[in-house]
Amino acid sequence: NAPSTVQNELLFRQVLYGYGDAMSYEGFVAGNLLSQHFAMIDFNLLDRHALSSPQEGGNPWDVLYVALRDNETVLQQSRNNPAAAVYEGPALVMKAYQAMRLTDIFGDVPYFEAVSGRTTGIVTPAYDRQEDIYLAEGGILDNLESAVAAIENYAGAIPLGGDIVFNGDLTAWRRFANSLRIKALLRISGRRDVGAELQSLYAAGDYIQSPEQNATFDFAAGPPNSFAFATARVGIFNVFLMSLTAEGIFAGLGDPRVSVLYRPAANTGEYRGIINGIDAATAIVPDDYARPGTIWRERTGDLDFNYMTAWETRLLLAEAAYRGLIEADARELYDAGVALAFAYWQTELPDDYLTSGPAAWDASRGLEQIITQKWIAGIGDAYEGWIEWRRTGYPALLPVAASLNDGRYPVRFPYPADEQALNFQNYRGAAEATDGNSVNVPVWWDVD
Amino acid sequence: TVTSVDGPLTGATVYEADHPGKGTVTDSIGTFTLLIQDFPSILKINYLGYTSRSFPIDATTPLPLDVHLEAGITLDDVEVVVTALGVRRSNSTLGYSVQEVQSEELTDVQAVNFVDNLSGQVAGLRVTAGATGVGSSSQVVIRGETSFTNNNPLFVVDGIPINNNTIINRTNEEAAGFQEVDFGNGAMDVNPADVQSVSVLKGASAAALYGTRAANGVIVITTKRGGKQPGLGISFNSSLTLDRPFQLPRFQNEFGQGQGGEFAFVDGLGGGISDNITYSYGPRLDVGNQVPQFDSPVTLADGTVVRGGDVAVHGGLPIPSTPFVSQPDNVRDFYDSGTTAIHNLAISGGGADGDFRLSVTDLRSDSYIPGVNLKRKTLAGRFGFRPAERLHLDASLNYINTTSDNRPAGGYGSENINYDLTAWLGRQTDLEILRDYWQPGLEGTQQYSYNYTFFDNPYFTLLENRNGLDRDRLFGFLSARYELLDNLSLQVRSGMDYSNERRRFLRNFSSNRFPQGGYAENDVLFREINTDFLLDYTQSFGDFTLNLLAGGNRLTQLAENNQSNALTLAQPGIFRLSNAASPVVIVDQAAEKRINSLYGLARFGFRDYLFLDLTGRNDWSSALANPASADNTSFFYPSASVSFLASRLLDLPEAVSYLQLRANVAQVGNDTDPFRTSSTFVARSPYNGQPTFTEQSVLAQPNLKPEQTTTTELGADIRLLEYRLGLDFTYFTQRTENQILSLPIAQSSGYNQQIVNGGTVSSRGVEAILSLTLVVTEDFRWTSRFNFSSSRAVVDELPAGTDRFTLAYSRVYNSVNQTVYFIVEPGGEIGDIWGTGYRKTDDGRFILTNQGQFIADNTLRKIGNANPDFILGAANSFRFRNLELNLLLDWRQGGQIVSRSLSLAGVAGQLEETAYRPEAGIVVPGVVNTGTDSEPVYVDNTTAISAESYYRSYYDRNHEENNLYDASYLKLRELRLTYRLDRSALADGPLGGFQGVSVSLIGRNLYAWSEIPHFDPEQFAIQGQGIVFGVEDMTYPSARSFGLSLGLDF
Repeated sequence: NAPSTVQNELLFRQVLYGYGDAMSYEGFVAGNLLSQHFAMIDFNLLDRHALSSPQEGGNPWDVLYVALRDNETVLQQSRNNPAAAVYEGPALVMKAYQAMRLTDIFGDVPYFEAVSGRTTGIVTPAYDRQEDIYLAEGGILDNLESAVAAIENYAGAIPLGGDIVFNGDLTAWRRFANSLRIKALLRISGRRDVGAELQSLYAAGDYIQSPEQNATFDFAAGPPNSFAFATARVGIFNVFLMSLTAEGIFAGLGDPRVSVLYRPAANTGEYRGIINGIDAATAIVPDDYARPGTIWRERTGDLDFNYMTAWETRLLLAEAAYRGLIEADARELYDAGVALAFAYWQTELPDDYLTSGPAAWDASRGLEQIITQKWIAGIGDAYEGWIEWRRTGYPALLPVAASLNDGRYPVRFPYPADEQALNFQNYRGAAEATDGNSVNVPVWWDVD
Repeated sequence: TVTSVDGPLTGATVYEADHPGKGTVTDSIGTFTLLIQDFPSILKINYLGYTSRSFPIDATTPLPLDVHLEAGITLDDVEVVVTALGVRRSNSTLGYSVQEVQSEELTDVQAVNFVDNLSGQVAGLRVTAGATGVGSSSQVVIRGETSFTNNNPLFVVDGIPINNNTIINRTNEEAAGFQEVDFGNGAMDVNPADVQSVSVLKGASAAALYGTRAANGVIVITTKRGGKQPGLGISFNSSLTLDRPFQLPRFQNEFGQGQGGEFAFVDGLGGGISDNITYSYGPRLDVGNQVPQFDSPVTLADGTVVRGGDVAVHGGLPIPSTPFVSQPDNVRDFYDSGTTAIHNLAISGGGADGDFRLSVTDLRSDSYIPGVNLKRKTLAGRFGFRPAERLHLDASLNYINTTSDNRPAGGYGSENINYDLTAWLGRQTDLEILRDYWQPGLEGTQQYSYNYTFFDNPYFTLLENRNGLDRDRLFGFLSARYELLDNLSLQVRSGMDYSNERRRFLRNFSSNRFPQGGYAENDVLFREINTDFLLDYTQSFGDFTLNLLAGGNRLTQLAENNQSNALTLAQPGIFRLSNAASPVVIVDQAAEKRINSLYGLARFGFRDYLFLDLTGRNDWSSALANPASADNTSFFYPSASVSFLASRLLDLPEAVSYLQLRANVAQVGNDTDPFRTSSTFVARSPYNGQPTFTEQSVLAQPNLKPEQTTTTELGADIRLLEYRLGLDFTYFTQRTENQILSLPIAQSSGYNQQIVNGGTVSSRGVEAILSLTLVVTEDFRWTSRFNFSSSRAVVDELPAGTDRFTLAYSRVYNSVNQTVYFIVEPGGEIGDIWGTGYRKTDDGRFILTNQGQFIADNTLRKIGNANPDFILGAANSFRFRNLELNLLLDWRQGGQIVSRSLSLAGVAGQLEETAYRPEAGIVVPGVVNTGTDSEPVYVDNTTAISAESYYRSYYDRNHEENNLYDASYLKLRELRLTYRLDRSALADGPLGGFQGVSVSLIGRNLYAWSEIPHFDPEQFAIQGQGIVFGVEDMTYPSARSFGLSLGLDF
């Protein structure tokens, strides 16, 4: 009863949902520790920066390659079968999105030869340089341009199926592609002059502008489509506490979103955080600290999986403007991004938040403000907070209490042990290039 | 002429009682000639599987003598064994190694799992019992592991293959959802009471005629049948054993729950001090400490007293402190005494035109694990009928119903009670109070426990969250044999093995993994039908005899496995899919396979001392076809074997009573499972009720070729000193090429497994069976038998382009880093265990940080090998008049095992190894590098770390190196003391109506000598859908059984 071919619609729905389901949990339980949204008080070797010994999640590699594989099948079918041509553009967008996550987390990774086991027989794919993954033909930026072209050239009548993000709206996919291009260009802006391209994207205005254009899908209130942390064991829920870093940032800004993202400490009613990476061989009273908010567990029907949003795009453009890469008013973009982000987190924007409070635009520390706002709104988003911290140094993350990495803050994720066992020859080269798979060797775009 | 119900007996032993060494053996048509030394004499005729007969012989005895033997017990002289296609042949004519186990060796001390009865009985056979108590699977491997993927021998009952699958329910390997449950292996359904004999065909040669699945050897089971002589025989056997847990972990009892020396229970959720998790690094026990605890009494406003852990009832009232005292026997006392009762009643009879045997068996085992049981009813019928002179009809039918109210979950996680009891139970925990496992007034919705974060009350788990089993199994055959000519017969036969298994998983509200309850149905269907024909032609030409067999077989197999999961329930306590509160998640699978075969066998005999067998078989397997082509589906494999009875031709020294030399070479091809030649897509969890599909994670191989195993074998069977001493020695080699492997591959390829042809493994080994009759007098007899085997399987070649690959792994949850890998490199051995550890200098000292901590070294390295260097079974039998004592010892030497119990309970501070906790901390013996990485300067570490920190890192589950044991053991496997009275002794007494009466004291799994203090060293783990040998994964204690058995023959 096992089919040997499958309709694109069924596969594409899984590409979108399966990745979101798996990566949202991964991003929450592991990514949030590196971005210091939360701290873990036991089974926390990852929080102590022994990244190769994660104990809950902490293996984004498999999630990404499975998603890339099914997406590749959708892409191949769209090119081989005229009746499936509508999938080409969206599949290219997803490929770029997933590849970006992958290389941003790990650095050089198998890409051009990857996920082609069935078609090429290659089961030990070579590692590619991050520079090529971003810039070469068939890389992230090229695929995004091709995606836009494919969407524009599609003249068929067969609609896009399985699209849980945009319900088949190709225009929305084009906006997503352009927003993602903005994000990718900024990511590599330390290495390449990206101003002209950004300016033209900004000028065209064909990017995600409003909440209804967001590349998101809804989690359900209950299984099987609820956010995975809702069904995680209460024990796992109970070892995640608000981090000291988060306490400082929310308190410093007087940001009311704290009450959505966290629940106050049971013993004190305060939003108190604990330092990341404690040696778990110490007695603590968890109820003295704030825990994850009800939106992560009891009310996941209110939570979205976020591929890309209007608030993120605005804040990216705000940075571009702030850094003079595009001609625009950084403050205007910043204010718009923050307002959209409050709405995204279902919180009323306080009247003074953008006018007189500490979050009000201050050009002298514009970049810090922009990235901090992205950090807040991007909670749970697949290591994004940590990736942007590596690029910009914001917000200031705190040293962990009992580091297992000599007190140094990791700047890349190590390749999983499986690669060492199963793709040894290629791994060897990649490990050499990273000082023995060290977490302290920056990735290509990380130039400071 | 010696005959039996099956016709002439070839190879029966005939000798004078006073001259056992001067005997002879019947030829291919059952005749013999023996020169009698002196009259009068007593002639003895033995044939394995038949009752020996004695005849007084004097000068007046009419000749020729016609002897008819009845099926029954035998002597261990030159044996007759059941070989391929159920043909009974004398061992002396066989050019390959076959070893037979008789019914009494199987049924004296019956194990619930039939396979366990073979342990220690056969050289080259390794049996490993499963880890979840009565009803577990047992793994059996013949001649060691030589295949990368499948080492499971074929089981055949009365000529019909039966499945020995272990099919695990679907799990997601995560810390949520259902855990693995072992519902047993297929061959456990064989009922020892109905078994006449078991022949183990060890090499490919013995097995070539059974086809591809025989590459790993064949276990040929012959069931009992009725006699030839008129009259009704009734026998009744009954055994009752008391089972106790064997080898429980050894705990420390000085420190109770907590971390950093502190603990206070508030809600078991993190509201107290370290009460969210249950390490035992808390305050000292038994020194007068007073601590709020889950069982401290809390008085409600209305005066009712509840327990501290009744949190939902008292709503967070202050919990008073109570004495913090040790519970050294809490885990021991948790277990009950189990009982296993087996009753069998058999009626048999027969006459000139046919025979029958009907048997009914009832097995009830209540485990020492509370709430766990197994019930099995077996009905067996065996019928022979001769409606016409030349027509033989034969049939058997076995119906087995197996039920269990609960099969306990295995693996790491809250559904396995060892996750609580072994790994994570604060050493002060009083388990007795947990028997009342609901919070008062919240029965059915909220359990009462010592902790509510990761753990469930173990009584709640076992008594409420059950994994039920109900399996119907039917196997049997119908056959007709017609003698076309005196020397030519045609047999047509069809047999079926059918099983339908219903598994029901109940999860109550407040379960750790299912806060809103849960329910799953897993239905497993298996059906295999084999239909065959066989032409049998025999002719003699002077000194030569020729026997030709030609046949064909069609195998059709259907396997279905459907599981429906309801991950939340609407109404507590109603376990129906219709009560699901969220969409039901369905995982289903069905596979069909067909193999057509033609085969032939030619046997040549020269006089009575030289025998040659040639065989050939061609298979056509549907599993090797792909959607585009059926080119690779056909494969042929031949064999040749020769047996030379040197003692009949040559003038050997007086001491040598018998000498047989044998040699053979054989090939056997092997196909694969369905769906390995084309990629398939599988349904995943729907989104908003709309379906989603993903590609299977296994990369298919369209051009799969059959794998080829070539074996050679040399052997000798020597009997010395009038058969008092026997040595059967076999040397074998085996080479498997083009192995069909499901190899783990790098996920970056898009897949995590790949089907490939490739790799060559060669193994060599020896088997020796030493039989000793040490003392034989009128009253006393002492015999011993030693079954020794040792083999080694080396990887000669890997698939092109690979220099290292991983055969299997075993993980904690789905964590890549908490993984034991089974990796091979060229020159490596099958079973090599790889893992990680902490950094060490070249001379093996730990390199520590400046703070005195271990430093993780995540480079994978070989840390051991799972396979034993040798195994030795030793059976001793003493008989004094009517009293008989049998002892079976089982020795496994060498090999390693990674222990999760050690890792987890070590980290959690439960085991006695962690009792040493000096105030000043522990200075880890090791060095600190004061130089650079390239030019290290090592100085001795002088910095202490806390004992808690030390144990937590030393045993850390991310690193296997410190959690490894030598897996060697010596086990007292079976003990039996029997008092037996036969007919003559009973005739005058009150039991005069009985043919025989026996009463036995029996024991199984009585003791083990091993370096492993915490669990039975005989172990395997279940990971995903398969068995992983070399890993202990939160095992349940195995059973130590004592009891009584009674046998009555009317």
